Amino acid sequence: MGDKKDVWQGTLALMVLKTLQALGPLHGYGIARRIEQTSGDLLAVNYGTLYPALLKLEQEGYISSEWGTSDNNRKAKYYKLTRAGRKQLDKEAREWEQTTEILARFLAPGKESA
Amino acid sequence: MRHFRALFIRLAGLFRKDRHEQEIAAELESHLQLHIEDNLRAGMTATEARREALIKLGGIEQAKEMVRERSGLPVLEVLLQDLRFGLRMLMNNPGFTAVAVLTLALGIGMNTGIFTILNGAAVRLLPVPHAEQLLTVSQTYRKLNGSIQRNVRENASFFSYSEYHAYQDQNRVFTGLLAYAPFVEATLGGEHLQKLQGALASCNYFDVLEVPPALGRGFTEAECSAANSSPVVVLSDTVWRNAFGADPSILGKPIVLNRTPVIVVGIAPPGFEGSEPVPSQFWAPLTLQTSLMRGQDRLGDDKQSWLGLVGRIKPGVSANQVLAGLGVIAAQIDQLDPGRITTLAIGSATLFSVPEERFALFSAGGVVLFAVGMILLIACANVSSLLLARAAGRRKEVAVRLAMGASRWRLIRQLLTESLLVALLAGMLGSLISFWSAAGLMHFLQSIVSPGYWPMALNVAPDLHVLAYALGLTLITGITFGLVPALQSSRADLTLAMKGESAESGAKPRSKNFMRSALVAAQVAACMVLLLAAGLLLRGLHRANTIDPGFRMKNVTAISFDLNGAGYNDQRAEALQRQLLERIAALPGVDAVAQASAVPLDDNHSVTDFSIPGRQDHILTEYNQVSPTFFPLLDIRIVRGRNFTDAENHTGAPVVILPQSTARRLWPGQDPIGKTLVRASISYEIVGVVKDAQVSFLGGSDEVYSYFPAGPKEQIGLRLLISGAGANAPTAQTLSTTVAALDPELAVDVVNLADNLKPWRTPGRIVSALSAILSVLALVLSSIGVFGLVSYVVSRRVREIGIRMALGADKRDVLILVLRQALRPVAIGAILGIACCAALAWIVSTTLPKDISGRFLYGISPLDPVSFLLVPGFLLCVAILASYLPARRAMRVDPMVALRYE
Repeated sequence: MGDKKDVWQGTLALMVLKTLQALGPLHGYGIARRIEQTSGDLLAVNYGTLYPALLKLEQEGYISSEWGTSDNNRKAKYYKLTRAGRKQLDKEAREWEQTTEILARFLAPGKESA
Repeated sequence: MRHFRALFIRLAGLFRKDRHEQEIAAELESHLQLHIEDNLRAGMTATEARREALIKLGGIEQAKEMVRERSGLPVLEVLLQDLRFGLRMLMNNPGFTAVAVLTLALGIGMNTGIFTILNGAAVRLLPVPHAEQLLTVSQTYRKLNGSIQRNVRENASFFSYSEYHAYQDQNRVFTGLLAYAPFVEATLGGEHLQKLQGALASCNYFDVLEVPPALGRGFTEAECSAANSSPVVVLSDTVWRNAFGADPSILGKPIVLNRTPVIVVGIAPPGFEGSEPVPSQFWAPLTLQTSLMRGQDRLGDDKQSWLGLVGRIKPGVSANQVLAGLGVIAAQIDQLDPGRITTLAIGSATLFSVPEERFALFSAGGVVLFAVGMILLIACANVSSLLLARAAGRRKEVAVRLAMGASRWRLIRQLLTESLLVALLAGMLGSLISFWSAAGLMHFLQSIVSPGYWPMALNVAPDLHVLAYALGLTLITGITFGLVPALQSSRADLTLAMKGESAESGAKPRSKNFMRSALVAAQVAACMVLLLAAGLLLRGLHRANTIDPGFRMKNVTAISFDLNGAGYNDQRAEALQRQLLERIAALPGVDAVAQASAVPLDDNHSVTDFSIPGRQDHILTEYNQVSPTFFPLLDIRIVRGRNFTDAENHTGAPVVILPQSTARRLWPGQDPIGKTLVRASISYEIVGVVKDAQVSFLGGSDEVYSYFPAGPKEQIGLRLLISGAGANAPTAQTLSTTVAALDPELAVDVVNLADNLKPWRTPGRIVSALSAILSVLALVLSSIGVFGLVSYVVSRRVREIGIRMALGADKRDVLILVLRQALRPVAIGAILGIACCAALAWIVSTTLPKDISGRFLYGISPLDPVSFLLVPGFLLCVAILASYLPARRAMRVDPMVALRYE
């Protein structure tokens, strides 16, 4: 576990939204697993921290939830993106790309320093 | 927006806790099962699968707690918890709660009541639509070299008619600027003969205020343009109801004001009584001035300050733009009078809007607020002290909470919540009392401030300002008395407290004792200030009641009438005065009759200035114009020179008589007889010097004062003084009839001269009574504080005292030991209080105008040694008594019992 990074504050919400966009309605366990897998096991998600984040997104109206049945016939609470959530995802993704791009330019061995 | 949505849902979450709990539990359970199934599929054993899933989740309870925090509002929940707990604690100690709430309610109630009145007078805007757009304009002026000549009516910051027109016509910042002359007295003639108080107003008065008359109309341009073209008047609702029986047909009919027929064109809406504290009963156009006040032409006098200005600001114009815009006009006016510099000031439109009035009001109000604030502070100290004592009993509870992991901040918050609850209860009770009693208090204060004057129109109903003040005061109170005990008791020594040992066993009683001693010192200091103030005021009252004003008041009657307003000219006035003098002198029982322009100790003294040949400065003097009979009638002895002769009186010869103190001040060590002084370029010869008499100001005879003869030009403004003793001395009725026989339409005031003392003594009497009540209250509260401190000290030192006695200390030693500990804070507080009061008395006596402070102290020094010696001595005696009673308990300690104690 030593090398795994903790999820940054705030980025977890973006990951949840993106996961729901990619996979459609999904329960909390599924979202957690998916985030872990996508990160190539580099991120250690404490599954517990996911639930307050989900609750926050739901309170803000970006996702909605309802109880359903899983593939192996188990009851689970399924989350799905709302319209506001899709818009928020677009917005946040764009902002995030911009930020990383700017940072990348700083960190790359630039021509100025050469 | 998303944040609000979330906040709202979380607020709602507070009330659906159980459903939330079940849902979270179910969701986490399903999460675990899904994870376990995955793990089983991956080949783990059942135990291993469950363990791994739990680790990954980070604990079910922890996860639940995290979600819980997000689903509700923890801050609010804790607050609700604290409130519930606090209420329970208060209900468990009904005695403590009642004492604390009542004491504090008294303090908060008194403070709020006083503030309500100040608010009604100087903060609450006029009761007209959009009053926040209204601004009052006032001016101050000076001249670069020399002094400005102004004829001031009512107020020096008022404007002249031509100045008003310049501002009204040229300004671009107001939608309209109105002018009014307040306090115009007029006699309503005809069958409803009575004196009315009204105002002269510019044409746009009702338009600018946006108060259209309820019946009829306001003034039209034609009625204001040319002087006296068609006299009209608008009546107040009150007069319309009282004098005219609310008869709507009065509109269009003439009534008689000061013998001028005027047509009633409108009735003001009920509740509208003008823009001054004294309600207006009628409004007439400014141009009616010369008809209503015969013999004066204020309209044509550019140096007359008689008009107050109020403007309605244009939308979007700022206060600075208003000042700049008006400043341009002021500069133009200044150019007409080279060297004059005018400074304009604007203020919001309240009942008291003139800067000097506001200053006097706020200073007086500040003093009173300070006094009742002291009471509140003393009450706070007592409740604080109670809380500290109670904290000793709650040490164990606090220690348990700390041991269970509560943070100190959380404990302080809990304890402060309790204090605030007490304060809130007290605040509500106190505010209710003050709202109910504000009107009564208002009448009471009014009888102090202006007895016998027109009633003031203050709105003392509570508004947002008052509520905010009460709430703010309540919160400050709660924190003031709650913070120290909360900090103190949340710092428990865990091990000691858990073992059930208390500080009695001698651990560290110092700091807690120190806090309570400091509280007692503060109480004694506050109490000392109030007691000293009351002492000074009582001395002043004593002086006012025993003072010899220097002239006779017994069996002297004064008759006043307003010949000017009644339309007399000099000739007719002189004829009337002559006939009156003859007829009254002929009445049975009359010893002497004198004329004077000012009745002694009345408020109608005039001021003039004169210079002395060969000296630079102008000397301001109050003066009286009197007939030669004035001095013998009032027993004012002539000590040098002679009285006016009848011939001098008839011709108004340039002679003057000075009181001793004035003569001594102007010509120290010289004989003033034969010297001259120059008034309005006429030389007056000093022919006599009379004994000092406090004819203009009770308690003060150090002002410059002078007597001039009551010559023919003055007849119109003279009043009559009549002396007569015995059973057949003329009554007020006889005197009024005598006047009515000569002019049935002249309204007359007849007063006994001795009654003129009342306005001087009454304020002092009432204020002394008020301050005596306050200081008795303070004394009782402080005594309770001292008593509590000593009882507490004794109860904590029982064991020590027992040991001392067992070792041979006698009762006296023990008593001295306890008293010394108790009286140290008292002494410190007393010294602080004396210093504080001396400083305050000095500040108050130097900042308050003399005619306010002088009315209470009557020449007593604000550092009067009698008060400053007697009062501290008295307070010390009370403090010793308050500590002796509980200290006696220390002497009765039985060493054997004490040593077995605990």
